[in-house]
Amino acid sequence: MSFVESEERRALRESVAALGAKYGHEYYVRKARAGEETTELWAGAGELGFLSVNLPERYGGGGGGIGDLAAVLEELAAAGSPLLMLVVSPAICGSIIARFGTEAQREYWLRRFADGSAKMAFAITEPDAGSNAHRLTTIGRRDGGGWVLNGRKVFISAVEEADAVMVVGRTADAATGRLRPSLFIVPTDAPGFSRTPIAMEIVSPERQSMLYFDDVRLPGDALVGDEDAGLLQLFTGLNPERIMAAAFATGIARYALDRAVAYAKDRQVWDVPIGAHQGLAHPLARIKIELEQARLMSQKAAWLYDAGDDAAAGEAANMAKYAAAEVAAAAVDQAVQTLGGNGLTTEYGLGTLVGAVRLSRIAPVSREMILNYVAQHSLGLPRSY
Amino acid sequence: MNIVVLVKQVPDTATERKLSAADSTLDRASADGVINELDEYAIEEGLRLKEAHGGEVTILTMGPDQASDSIRKALSMGADKAVHLVDDALHGSDAVQTSYALAQVLKKIGFDLAVLGSESTDARTGVLAAALAERLGVPQLSLASKVEIDGSTVRIQRITDYGYDRVEGSLPAVLSVVEKINEPRYPSFKGIMAAKKKPVEKLSLADAGIDPALVGLAGATTQVVDFADAPPREAGTVVKDEGDGGAKLAEFLAAKKFV
Ligand SMILES: Cc1cc2nc3c(=O)[nH]c(=O)nc-3n(C[C@H](O)[C@H](O)[C@H](O)COP(=O)(O)OP(=O)(O)OC[C@H]3O[C@@H](n4cnc5c(N)ncnc54)[C@H](O)[C@@H]3O)c2cc1C
Repeated sequence: MSFVESEERRALRESVAALGAKYGHEYYVRKARAGEETTELWAGAGELGFLSVNLPERYGGGGGGIGDLAAVLEELAAAGSPLLMLVVSPAICGSIIARFGTEAQREYWLRRFADGSAKMAFAITEPDAGSNAHRLTTIGRRDGGGWVLNGRKVFISAVEEADAVMVVGRTADAATGRLRPSLFIVPTDAPGFSRTPIAMEIVSPERQSMLYFDDVRLPGDALVGDEDAGLLQLFTGLNPERIMAAAFATGIARYALDRAVAYAKDRQVWDVPIGAHQGLAHPLARIKIELEQARLMSQKAAWLYDAGDDAAAGEAANMAKYAAAEVAAAAVDQAVQTLGGNGLTTEYGLGTLVGAVRLSRIAPVSREMILNYVAQHSLGLPRSY
Repeated sequence: MNIVVLVKQVPDTATERKLSAADSTLDRASADGVINELDEYAIEEGLRLKEAHGGEVTILTMGPDQASDSIRKALSMGADKAVHLVDDALHGSDAVQTSYALAQVLKKIGFDLAVLGSESTDARTGVLAAALAERLGVPQLSLASKVEIDGSTVRIQRITDYGYDRVEGSLPAVLSVVEKINEPRYPSFKGIMAAKKKPVEKLSLADAGIDPALVGLAGATTQVVDFADAPPREAGTVVKDEGDGGAKLAEFLAAKKFV
């Protein structure tokens, strides 16, 4: 491992950044406000292979790692378009299918992820099972060769633009107790599957929905991996999720910091640019340092995951996601402060990100649950819950 | 078809660019090097012509070692290989000398079509295409906003103040392009990964058959005698609308010959 990224990784960043700059934050906000999807940006990124850099070449992917996909998301976010769907479709679903899917599932889904023609949402959260996934009550019951799925999910992102949802449930045999999750691919047009959008105060083209599964009949091959492989399969998806959530956050932090710095160099309130006042300069400098910390931690987590060390990647990914969410929230907050009233105008494109960075502290795993994890697993402290 | 695209590395126009106090040449250390913007359109056109007619696209760059970054990027966009003319003795060459050096390389490697941007963002002389065509004894098709190749005939639309001229010439030829011609592609992930395996041939003056006496700062035909920073921008004119705002704006634009 090196602290400097490879020439190819840097070239990838440069190319994604150029594509991102063509769209920018205005595009993202316009789509979000109009209730439209970021179709053009998604298709453009797909054509260049950016949406599947981490998927195997055999299925049309780029053959790179999660570190490459994280670079794609970070650069798009830094250009003002933090696409949540990148966390879900190629990172979580793509990683799980690549590792545990059948040959047919890989052929079907990974190829479509790679050419940009299909997307998959990911649903684990339930009304009574957010931070506590052991309370999941979505159940798949065997029915002949297939499955019948019943349950509800909440806060599921981007289902409106997805072709299918990977649903984390349990089998009837493992309906209670510690979670032994099973993963089902549910097409969004499956009979018995319905969805209601949740009104959210986040400016994002991807929406959140409540999902209902009422006797949804699925074929036998809807199951991904083993019904008993349990948490290992799930974590194959959740480590990339955390690494991508970190990239989402550090990208937004970079975007906010860039804007704040540009403004602070230019705006004069007294006789010098406001960036000369240490009251503004030092907080921005601190954010720069914390951003560097979070980015290095994210790169380490990605490196461990790509090297196949899932256990070490778990701790690193959680810590990186924590650090990234904190700096993103601080960066947007301080950027808004630096711009004064302009910080909250639509034109300067910072107020629109306040919700998104708060999201980073809550999802996919909350700040408190990461602190619990570190307290227990890294420090060996007793558990309170 | 053997297409050679000439690519120059220039300091990023988004950063502050400086001349070196020592010899009035470009201070390359002061700014990041990037592909001259119009050359990206030249690369794109080269790639499109290859996609339509077959053949190969070779990138030709004259510049210091660090220009290899720009070469790599051009390869990641899809060019097949590159030739890098790199030699300390080239430092400070002016447009006339540069055209000589590049013409020597083009003679050596051969070409059906040499494509380049119509000017560079640093020196902005805009004479290279003409000088190359002259030295190589081939037609120059300049300022192209559209190109068609039919057998050995090249037809272009050459942009003018009033619209465009139709110009045609026969291969081999030198073609310079303007930004209207296309929209350059971004390097794809596969293109980026493939670029590192593509051949880049480095040539010295001797390799390319270039007479050292005819290049470099000492023998340059033009000389930068003096330079100064651009004056800071002055405050603009504010037109207050007191019922006659429109007329005042029109007056201002007319005075500046915009309308
Ligand atoms: C915009 C958005 C998009 C989302 N997208 C998806 C998606 O695509 N797919 C999906 O499955 N889910 C998604 N989620 C859900 C998200 O993962 C959950 O909101 C998150 O896991 C928290 O769960 P919860 O909301 O139920 O909070 P709860 O679990 O109810 O927690 C409430 C609060 O209590 C704290 N808390 C809980 N337990 C403890 C404890 N033991 N110690 C200390 N503090 C504790 C939490 O940290 C939190 O602050 C999304 C959420 C949002 C807001």
